[in-house]
Amino acid sequence: MKRLAAIGVHAAILLAVAFALYPVLWVVSLALSPHESPGAIPWPTEPSLDAMREVVLRTDDEGRYLFLMQTGASLLVAFSTALVAILIATPAAYALSRFRFVGKDASQQALLATQMFPGVAAAIPLYLILDALGLIDHLGGLTLVYATTAVPFAIFQLKGAFDTIPRDLEEAAMVDGATPFEAFRKVVLPAARPALAVTALFAFMTAWNEFILAATFLSREEIFTLPVVLQRYVGEHRAQWGHFAAGAIVVSVPVMALFYWLQRHLVGGLTAGGVKG
Amino acid sequence: MKRALTALALVLAGALPARAEPLRLWHAYGGAEEVALREAVRAFERETGQEVDLLAVAFGAYLAKLESAIPTGRGPDVFIDAHERLTTYVDAHLVAPYGGEVPASLEGEPLIPLRTEGRLYGLPLSLKCAALYLNDDLVPEDPGSLDALVATPVGEDRFPLVMEAENGYYVAAILHALGGELLTPTGEYDFQGPAAETTLTWLAEQVGAGRIPDEATGELVQRLFASGRAAAAISGPWLAPDLPEDLRWRVIPLPPLTAGGRPLEPYLTVEAVFAAADEARSPERVAATEALMRYLATGRGARIRAETARQVVADAAAWTSPALADDTFLRTFRAAADTARPMPTDPRMRMTFVPAQRALRRVLRGGEAPADALAASARTFADDTRPPPAERDPTLALVVFGLLLLLLVGYWVHRVRDPAVRVALLDSLPAYRWVAHAFFAVFALVILPLLVGAAVSLFAGRGRDLHYVGLANYADILTARGGDLLGDRSFYVVLGVTVLWTVLNVALHLLVGVFLALLLNRPKLRLRGVYRVLLILPWAVPSYVTALAWKGMFHRQLGAINAILEALGAEPVSWFAHFGTAFAANLATNVWLGFPFMMVVTLGALSSIPDSLYEAAQVDGATRGQRFRRITFPLLVPALAPAVVMGAVWTFNMFNVVFLVSGGEPGGSTEILVSEAYRWAFTRGQLYGYAAAYAVLIFGILALWTRATVWIGGRKERRVRRARDAAAKELATS
Amino acid sequence: MTIPRAPGERALDLGARSGILAAPVTAKPTGNGLTLAGVRKRFGETTVLKGIDLRAEPGELVVLVGPSGCGKSTLLRCLAGLETPDEGGIHIGDRDVTRLPPKERDIAMVFQSYALYPHLTVRHNLSFGLELRKAPADLIRQRVDEVAGMLGLEKLLDRYPRELSGGQRQRVAMGRAIARRPTLFLFDEPLSNLDAALRTEVRVEIKRLHHQLGTTMVYVTHDQEEAMTLADRLVILNGGLVEQQGPAIDVYREPATRFVGAFLGSPAMSFLPAEATETGLVVGDATLESPTHHRGPCTLGMRTHDVVVDAEGPLELEVRVVETLGHATHAHGLVEGQPFVARLQGHERPAPGDRIRLRPVYMHLFDAESGARIVR
Repeated sequence: MKRLAAIGVHAAILLAVAFALYPVLWVVSLALSPHESPGAIPWPTEPSLDAMREVVLRTDDEGRYLFLMQTGASLLVAFSTALVAILIATPAAYALSRFRFVGKDASQQALLATQMFPGVAAAIPLYLILDALGLIDHLGGLTLVYATTAVPFAIFQLKGAFDTIPRDLEEAAMVDGATPFEAFRKVVLPAARPALAVTALFAFMTAWNEFILAATFLSREEIFTLPVVLQRYVGEHRAQWGHFAAGAIVVSVPVMALFYWLQRHLVGGLTAGGVKG
Repeated sequence: MKRALTALALVLAGALPARAEPLRLWHAYGGAEEVALREAVRAFERETGQEVDLLAVAFGAYLAKLESAIPTGRGPDVFIDAHERLTTYVDAHLVAPYGGEVPASLEGEPLIPLRTEGRLYGLPLSLKCAALYLNDDLVPEDPGSLDALVATPVGEDRFPLVMEAENGYYVAAILHALGGELLTPTGEYDFQGPAAETTLTWLAEQVGAGRIPDEATGELVQRLFASGRAAAAISGPWLAPDLPEDLRWRVIPLPPLTAGGRPLEPYLTVEAVFAAADEARSPERVAATEALMRYLATGRGARIRAETARQVVADAAAWTSPALADDTFLRTFRAAADTARPMPTDPRMRMTFVPAQRALRRVLRGGEAPADALAASARTFADDTRPPPAERDPTLALVVFGLLLLLLVGYWVHRVRDPAVRVALLDSLPAYRWVAHAFFAVFALVILPLLVGAAVSLFAGRGRDLHYVGLANYADILTARGGDLLGDRSFYVVLGVTVLWTVLNVALHLLVGVFLALLLNRPKLRLRGVYRVLLILPWAVPSYVTALAWKGMFHRQLGAINAILEALGAEPVSWFAHFGTAFAANLATNVWLGFPFMMVVTLGALSSIPDSLYEAAQVDGATRGQRFRRITFPLLVPALAPAVVMGAVWTFNMFNVVFLVSGGEPGGSTEILVSEAYRWAFTRGQLYGYAAAYAVLIFGILALWTRATVWIGGRKERRVRRARDAAAKELATS
Repeated sequence: MTIPRAPGERALDLGARSGILAAPVTAKPTGNGLTLAGVRKRFGETTVLKGIDLRAEPGELVVLVGPSGCGKSTLLRCLAGLETPDEGGIHIGDRDVTRLPPKERDIAMVFQSYALYPHLTVRHNLSFGLELRKAPADLIRQRVDEVAGMLGLEKLLDRYPRELSGGQRQRVAMGRAIARRPTLFLFDEPLSNLDAALRTEVRVEIKRLHHQLGTTMVYVTHDQEEAMTLADRLVILNGGLVEQQGPAIDVYREPATRFVGAFLGSPAMSFLPAEATETGLVVGDATLESPTHHRGPCTLGMRTHDVVVDAEGPLELEVRVVETLGHATHAHGLVEGQPFVARLQGHERPAPGDRIRLRPVYMHLFDAESGARIVR
C-alpha cells in the first residue's frame, strides 16, 4: 500500500516534470534541426550544430566575435543591475522593516502601485529622461533603468526577509559595540544572505530578459543585449526560428545555472512578504 | 544649447583637416542582405574616406527606436525602410527631403512612391513583390492561371499551392486582379464589394477543398515548399534563401486567377534609403549623407546588393551587367515589379491589414459568409481610424490642477504646524537617510515616466501630433465609443476576459504549485532535489522564448500538440480559431510559466511549519486529510496570501503570453487589457493617448482590488486578534 | 590599540573551570555601581516606567523581578542604551550614560533569545565584540580560549549556532558577554528557554561566574525562585514602579506590600481578610493574638511555613488537595472559606476532607486598602 502510494507520487511528479520539460526540449530540438519542425517527440532526426555555430560565432567586419561581446555586455548589465538594485533596495527595505517614519505607509503604497501600472506608456518619457542625463546608448543608463525597475519588488522581498530577522540580533551587536550601521552591515546583511541572493537573481532576470527598452536605448551593435540580438532573427518577412532557438538556449543557460546554484536559497529566501501594503 | 554646441563642434571639425565624424546608418536587414549592405558601405568608405557606422536594429523595435532617437538628435543620418511607412515618417518629422541630384538610372517607376506632397524623400534601393515559386518536378509547365495550378494533380499529402491566405498583403494580389483594392487613393477602406467577395469565395473554396493549406503562416509556406510538399508557393524574394540546394525550382510572375483574366497584381514595396531629419546637420554632412544614399542606390552599391544578396535593385544601370542579365530569378522579380502596384504610403494602409485578416479568418476558419465578414471588417477599420476627439481648452484642467496642488501644499503646511507632526518628522530623519536614494531613483526613473505616461491619457491624436482632449479618451473607453457595451472590443468585455484570465491563472498556479509542493515535501521522497530543479526550469527560461515555443507547439500544422493528438488518433485542433481553445492555449502557457513560483513559495511556507504540529495531530488521531485541512492549509493561507496578491497583479498585466501566443486571436477576443492597450498604442495607429487611458484604468482597477484585499485581510486579522484576546481573557480569569 | 577597561579591572583567573563549585569565590567586587534616578519611559499612550529610582553597589548582582508587563525589560533596555528614557538619568559609575549609544556604555547583555549571530561560528560569536573594537588578534584568541574554557565550549568553537542545543546556545550567549569584560552585565531572562534541570544548573553557574568575575550584574526575570536564589539585591517591579528593593532575604522576610508578599515564595502566600481589634486579630470565627497596635480591617498574609500543625491552633484548614514533596507536604484547602496552603512535615499526610488545626508562627499584615505592610 505504502509502496503503491510512493509510485503514485513519483508518477504524478514525473508527469509534472514532463509538462515542465516538454517546451524546453522543443526549443532545443528546434535549435538542433533548424530546417524541420519538431514533431510530437521533440527529438531532432539529424542533429546539427549549424544554427548554434552561426549564432555564437557571428563576427563583425573587424572579425570580432559579436555574440561573445554581446553576451559580455548582457552579463555586465545583468550583474550590475542586480548589484545596483540591491544597493538601492537594501537600505530602503531595512528602513521600512525597522523604522517608523512619516510617509512610510504612503511609500509602500507607491511602491506597490508601480507594480500595477503597465509600463507600455513609459518608454518614451524614460528615453527623454535618460537623454537629459546623457545616458542613452550607454550600458550604464540601461543598468540604471533596469535597477530602478527592479527596486520596488526587491524592496518588498527584502523587507519581508528583514522582518523575519529578530531585532535582538542588531541589539546584541550594538551592545557588543557596533554602531547601528555596523549592526546592519555585519549582522543583518549576512543573516539575510539567502534573501539577498534570491532578490539579486530576480533583478538579474529583469535585465537579462528585457527587450523593448534595450532595443530603444542602445544603438551600437557590440553592446546590444542578447534579447535584442535574438529578436533580430525574427524579421518582417522571414523568421529564422532555428537561430532564434539556438540563441534562446544560450540565453537560458546562465539563468538556469543561477537557479540551480541558488535553488536551496530560493525556498525560504523568497518571502514575497510585506506586500500587504 | 546642445544643438549649438554640436554645430560648433561640427564647424570646428570642418575647419580642421581631421576626419569627419562617421555617418550613422540604421537598417533592419538580416542574413545575406545585411552582408551585402555592409560590403557596399565598406566600398563607400574606401572610395570616399568617409566612415559609416552601421547598426542592425531588430524589426520589432525599428519604429519605436526611430521615434525616440531622431527628435533627440541621437538617431541615424541615414536609415533604410520600406516606402509605405514614408508618410508616417513625414508626419512625425523623422525624415528629411532628398535635395541632391537624382541619378538618371533611378528615374521612373521606383521613384514615384517616394514622392509625397511634391517632394522626394529618399532613394530607392530594391523592389519587393510577390511572385509564383514553382517546383520543377511537380509543375514542369508554367500554369496559365491559378485555377489551372490548383487543379493540377500533385499526389497524396501534397498541396498544389501554398500561400498565406489570411494575409491581406498576398490576398490583395487577387483582389487587384478582380478590380478591387484594400484602400482607395483617398484613404477609404475598400475591402468590400463583389471583387472582395469573389476573392474570399475563391480562397474559401480552395482551402475548403484542401488545395491550399489552412492557417498558413510564412513559416508553413517555407516548410511546405522547401520539403516538396507544395507544388507552388506565392511568396517574395525572401523565400529563396531558405530553400534547400537540392530542390529544383523556378519563379514566374503571378498568373491570372482564371485563364485569360488580368494577371494578379501584387503589392510593390520599394525599399529605400532615407535621410533622417536633423536641422542641425551641416551642409558638408548633408552632402556626405546624400553621397552615401546615392552610392548605395546606384552603381557599385547596387551591383553588390544584387550580386551578394540577390536584391531586385531599382537602379536601371545595374541591369546592364551580364551577371544580372542572365539571372532569371532576379529578372522575373524585376518583371513582376513592373506589373505590381506600389503600396499606398497612406498610414491607413497598414491599418487595413488587421481588419482584412479578421475578415479572411472569419471566412476561412469560421465559415462565415464573405459579405458579413467584410462588413464587420469595415466597421473595425472605421473604429481604428476614427478621428480623435476634438481639442478642448486646457484652462479649466490647469486651474483644477493648480487648485489641487495648492490644497495639497496647504494641507502639508497645516500638518507641519502641528507640533506632534513636527516631532514625528524629526524622529523620521534617521530613517530618511536610509530611504532617500531609493526614493529619488524610483521617483525619477519609475514613477515620473509613469506619471508622464498617465498624463498622455488626456491627449489624443496619432503619433506625435497630440492635442489636449480632457477626459474624452476615458469617456470613449467607458462608453465603448458609443457602441454596444458588450460588443466587440468593448472595454467591459476585455475586462471580463482579463478577470477570467487572472482568476483561472492564479487558481491553477495555486493548484499545481501547492499540489507539487506537497508532493515534494514528503519526508521520504527520493530524488527530491532533482525533481525540484526540473520543476523550477520553466521559471528560468526567458518568457519571450517560451511563449514563442508554446505558440509554435500550438501551430495548426507544425505544432507538437496537434502531432500528439494525431498520434493518439484524435482530430487536430485549430487552436487559435475559437475563443475557448485560444484562451486555453494562453492559459496552458501561463500556467506553465507561473506554477514554479507558487511551488517555491509553498515549499518555503511548508518548511516553516514545525513537525511537532503534525506529530501532535497524529497523536490526536488526525488522518492525513485532516492534518492537511486542520494544520497545513490554515498555516499556508497567510503565507501564500501576499504571493497570490502579487501573482494576480502580474497575471493581470501578463503581456508577453497573450501577445505572443494567441496574439488576441480569434478576432481580438482573447486580448486582455494590457495587450489591448498595446494594440491601440502600436498596431492600431499609434493612439498613445487612448492607450495611456487604458493603462490608467488598469492601474485604477488593480489599486482598488489590492485595497480591497488589504481591507479584507485586515478585517480577518482583526477578527483573529479579537478571538485571541477573548481566549486570553478567558484563560486569565479561569 | 587598547581595550577600554574599567578602573580596577583585573585579569581573569585563567582556566578556572574545573567543575562548577571548584571556582574561586574570593573575587573582590569590580565594575561600576549603578544609579537610576526618576527614569520614565512612554511608548505612545502607555507609560511603561513611571519614575524608577535604583542603586546598585559595585559588584552587586541586582535582580529585577516582576510579572510580565511590569516594565522590567524596558528598564533593562534603558540600561543597555537600546531605549532612551523620556525623563530621568542613568549613571554607570559616575558617568552619565542616559543618552549614550550602547557601544559607549561598556556593557554586555545576554538576551532571552540568545541572539546568536546565525552566520558566525561560536568562535566568531565570542570574538565579535572584540573584533568590533579592533582588539589585537592574539588578545582575541586568548580571550576566546579563556571564555571557552570557563564555559566548556572548547569543542563547539567551530560550530554554527543552528548546530547547538538550547543549553549550548545559552552558554555561548553568556560567553559572548564575558569575552568582552564589560563593567556591567545585563541578563534578560536568560534561562526562560531552558528546561527545569538545566535552568537550576545554569543558575548556579551564573552565581559562580558572578563570584568569579565580581562584576556588577543586572538580571531580569519573572521567576521569583530564580530571583531569590541569585539576587544580592532584589528589585520588585510592578506597573512601572519599584515596589520594593533591598537584600533578597529582607525583601522575602518583610515584604513591603501585599503584592511583594504574594509574588515571592512558592506556593504563594495565602491571604485572609482580618480585623485588628482590642481583643486580637479576628479572622472569621477565629481570633488570633494580634502582632500589631494597628486597629481596623487588614489582610493577613501567611506563607506555607508560617503555620505549624497544632491540635490547639486557632485556625482550621479544610484539606482539599495534598502534594507530597518527600521532605514536606503541602496541604491546599480553605481556612475560613479562603484558599490557604500550609506546609506540613514530610511524614504528615492528611487525606482530602480532613480538618487540621493550625497555629501561626509568623504573620504579615497588610493594609486592607493600600496593601502596604503594617509595621507593628
